[in-house]
Amino acid sequence: MTFIELLLGILLSGLRSATPLLQVLLGETITERAGVVNLGVEGQMLSGACAGFAVAAVTGNPWAGLFAGIVAGMLLSSVHAFLVLVAGANMFASGVAVWLLGGGLSAFFGIPFVGRRIDGFASPDFGGAAKLPLVGPILRVATPSVLIALATWVLCSLFLYRTRAGLRLRAVGESAESASTLGISPTKVRWAAILAGGALSGLGGASLSVDLVRNWVEWMTAGRGLVAVGLVIVARWNPWYALPAALLFGVVESLTLRLQALGVTISPYLLSTLPYLVCLGVLVWGSARARSKGGMPRDLAQVFSKTE
Amino acid sequence: MKGITKRFGELAANDSVDLDVGEGEVVALLGENGAGKSTLMKILYGFQSPDSGTIEIEGKPVRFSSPRDAMASSIGMVFQQFSLIPALTVRENLQLAYPDLPMVPARGGGRDERLLAHLKRLAPDLDPSALVADIPVGQMQLVELAKVLNLEALLVILDEPTSVLTPIETKGLHERVRQLAKEGRSVILITHKFEDVASCADRVAVMRHGKMVENRTAVGLSAQELSSLMVGGAKVVPAVRVPPPAREVPLLEVRGLTAGDVFSSVSGIDLMVAPGEILGIAGVSGNGQDVLGACVAGMREVTSGEVLLEGVAVQRGNGGVPDPTVVGFIPERPSVNGVAPDLDLSVNLALKGIPRLPFWMAGRKPSAVEALPMLEAYDVRPRDPSRRARDLSGGNLQKLVAARELSGARKLVVACYPTMGLDLSATQAVYARLFAHARDGAAVLWISEELDDLLRFAHRISVLSHGKILGTVAAEGADRNLLGRWMMGAAA
Amino acid sequence: MTPSLAVRRKALAVRYPWFEGTLFAVSATLVFFVSSLIFFALLGRSPFLLFGELLSGSLGSSYGLTETLVKTIPILLCALATALPARLGLLTVGASGQFYMGAWCGTAMVLLFGHSHWAAMPLMFLGAFAGGAIWGLVPGFLRAKLEVNETLVTLLLNYVASLLVDWVVYGSWRDTSNLGWPATISFPQWVKLPLLINGSHLHSGLILALLIAVALHVVLSRSRWGLSLRILKSNLKLGEGVGFSWTGNVALVMGIGGAIAGLSGILETSCIHGRLESGIALNFGLTGFLVAWMAGQHMIRIIPLAFVMGALLSSGDALQLYAQLPEATAVVLQSILFCSVLATGGFLRRGRSP
Repeated sequence: MTFIELLLGILLSGLRSATPLLQVLLGETITERAGVVNLGVEGQMLSGACAGFAVAAVTGNPWAGLFAGIVAGMLLSSVHAFLVLVAGANMFASGVAVWLLGGGLSAFFGIPFVGRRIDGFASPDFGGAAKLPLVGPILRVATPSVLIALATWVLCSLFLYRTRAGLRLRAVGESAESASTLGISPTKVRWAAILAGGALSGLGGASLSVDLVRNWVEWMTAGRGLVAVGLVIVARWNPWYALPAALLFGVVESLTLRLQALGVTISPYLLSTLPYLVCLGVLVWGSARARSKGGMPRDLAQVFSKTE
Repeated sequence: MKGITKRFGELAANDSVDLDVGEGEVVALLGENGAGKSTLMKILYGFQSPDSGTIEIEGKPVRFSSPRDAMASSIGMVFQQFSLIPALTVRENLQLAYPDLPMVPARGGGRDERLLAHLKRLAPDLDPSALVADIPVGQMQLVELAKVLNLEALLVILDEPTSVLTPIETKGLHERVRQLAKEGRSVILITHKFEDVASCADRVAVMRHGKMVENRTAVGLSAQELSSLMVGGAKVVPAVRVPPPAREVPLLEVRGLTAGDVFSSVSGIDLMVAPGEILGIAGVSGNGQDVLGACVAGMREVTSGEVLLEGVAVQRGNGGVPDPTVVGFIPERPSVNGVAPDLDLSVNLALKGIPRLPFWMAGRKPSAVEALPMLEAYDVRPRDPSRRARDLSGGNLQKLVAARELSGARKLVVACYPTMGLDLSATQAVYARLFAHARDGAAVLWISEELDDLLRFAHRISVLSHGKILGTVAAEGADRNLLGRWMMGAAA
Repeated sequence: MTPSLAVRRKALAVRYPWFEGTLFAVSATLVFFVSSLIFFALLGRSPFLLFGELLSGSLGSSYGLTETLVKTIPILLCALATALPARLGLLTVGASGQFYMGAWCGTAMVLLFGHSHWAAMPLMFLGAFAGGAIWGLVPGFLRAKLEVNETLVTLLLNYVASLLVDWVVYGSWRDTSNLGWPATISFPQWVKLPLLINGSHLHSGLILALLIAVALHVVLSRSRWGLSLRILKSNLKLGEGVGFSWTGNVALVMGIGGAIAGLSGILETSCIHGRLESGIALNFGLTGFLVAWMAGQHMIRIIPLAFVMGALLSSGDALQLYAQLPEATAVVLQSILFCSVLATGGFLRRGRSP
């Protein structure tokens, strides 16, 4: 295997690994750009993964599974929206509540599906193209959820910076007060942002269970949602940077899996800490930069420093 | 507007207020802080709805449930705390306020030109792709104005527009207001400054304690008449000027002070204040005043330089040891910087002494008994020491902080806009106490935007611009134009 | 809230200082009951029967009661570990990570010095304190010096700590003679605290936890240090200006909080399981966070709330046995409770100031 093929292989499997994370990351970026933090994305991912897997297993249709994941994520995120926007609860606490709710409900309803396997997306027959040196691996990796994630990445970034609605969203995140003087309703915008975040994190969860690993275990997302919240800071709330940020995590994760497969004698558990530690390191670096060079939506800065 | 009434609890912010503005007319809406002017304008702009009363535009009654409705009725408002979003570009800020913006706004092209037309007239040198955070304050106001004009506003409301402008920029604004009137637009100018009234108002409407008490032509109105209109018959005891000190060894010496961050900073500040002397620092806010005040008072860390009090370094950092017990510091925005909002008034008043309490506080806890006399002396309302500080209004918080910092003997008093948000009588009362410290031999560093007050009461005046001291003159006989040029940043 | 209701409520609040608190507790409980009833009904089960099982399972028998108290201990300690930093305004969800690191270091001490009858226990506790404290000091340091959000750091470190425990339990500390569930060797008798009730799991760690809660309460409410924390939390710059140290206090609260959670970890390891295993923290960290939040970070109020949560969690076992409901039911009920508390608290706060 040439060096380029090796590098490409690592990148591609990293991309595959990073796909669910990318979805959540984009969703949470949108939410935080409107000035709301949602720690509940972890629970939303779990509910999306569970609902997605269940529907895909029962109907045999993975697309239905992805759709179910979106719906589940949106339903759960509406709880967060209700608690924060209607009841006025603290957004960190509400996020933890939603996280727990999502985890509990998905564990509860997911029991009949533990250990089941599904077929996922039927891989199309590319014929001779699959054997080509560079194109082949790309085709093999490009499952629907990867493609959807990449499309979402482009769409979200364009949305935020090039559309009227994206402009209004950014305005609300910078200063809800100023936005309301312009006739924008911060509450409506935030509802939409939270629901969008819910849809994307549900989709991310469903991508994980239906497409990537094709099984269901309770608490299976293992903190990916929370990693996403950290990576939003690293990506400086810019959806364009979401892909490299998610890719970093995905590459480290798939590297640790490969090392295990290669028979490296380091304990797999120890290796599994690497992605989290890398995320932590990047978070620290990213926070320092965000502080000095800005990038954080103004209203959000108040939320982060004033924790009550 | 007819018979507008609005109550907040028991307080009537507006009580049967009538106001009318004709086409092409400029009406100055005057009144002290708390008189009800902003509430009235908030109702007109749709932020609040009146409890009773009607609004008519060109004879037709209207109902506003949000600023969107007001904007649709061609009313535009330029806010005191700008409603521009610093992290976005000038163009984006205009786009946000533009009616009929397409879903995917294009860059360049016919639509874009129309968006920027008014702005190009007002500020031809301004690059629309610049971030609002990077442009000077005077230009920000022009962008705000362009925003409003883009709505083809027939009624423009300006809220205290000159409070952040240098004298030259103020003249420019007055010209624009007159221009607007010539174009047939109506203007309501909320202000408390005589020069605004004299330069561009056709009529004057004065509010006091929620009621409209005067509505007359502005022709022939003198400054004296104006302030008596605003205050009514209330007794205001004016502060008395403190005699200048004899030339002595300086009590406060600031050497090469450099501090601050990307948002606000000062560099190379050299100052000297004698005991009993009042040094005024003039300048438009945003030039580093908050950093200067906080560093001299020992509350904020310096990057380099020294603050010497009686020869001893008392700055925070760089080897100094701050001594909060002999320094009185009234910070900028006391509601944010000067109080602990979740704690009660007793604790807030006793704040400076807490580090010296014993570990088990027991009977030495901050108590209401010690707090009440200070609340009384400074007229802080409500007079309840067990209330939390966040329940107080901005003006009362200002008084609370003044009470804490100005009670007791001080060697140094640093006051940053000490009378912001206070009405005339409270202002004079705070001045009286501030100057009393000077009379007792303290060094007083007084940072203020009210140039007239500085000229009247300070001994010397320095101008702070872009973080540097551009010059210092004696207050008596000072040249206002020179000070104005310094405030704009022109070298001496 | 209509003006007349608001006025009447304010009058009641002024006359009876306990009014607002009771109103909140009663409303939140009501909302919780209604929501859980709906949840059970949606499952097609009789809600009242299930609640009956819940209560009798957790409180109705002496066995149930001891199990509740057993679960209360770690919940109480983790709640205290979360509430102390919260007094300074730090929002940590890291109790389970500190739990694991306390268990890890404590176990290390036992493996090294377990043979000594008199030194093993104190060294074990010291190890646990140190491990938990370090796991609390890292996010504290990052927050104080680099302004990194401590919530995210503690959340990530939770996962790391859990994996570190797995590493040794599956790896070098594994007791190979035990062919079943991976775990370390069993701890000797002299590192376990005496039992409160013979024949049960209930150990005197309960007394220790209660003492810690009371001690924290007394110190925080009556000392100058407690007041300095309130000042720093309310206005950081002002507190520093007056002379209090932000960095020092962050280290103090995060360190002590971490040590308390670490204690909880070693107590579960040594007194309940008797050895270090994987996954013993369950949801104690998160539950502790909920309890601390619902108690308003008040050290004494945490005690009854931790008991209620302990009952809820131990009822999960009862529901599993008698009603064939899965373990996850307890987690769902917990989250419904938390959501009810948040919603009620928010609405009541909004109703107070229109």
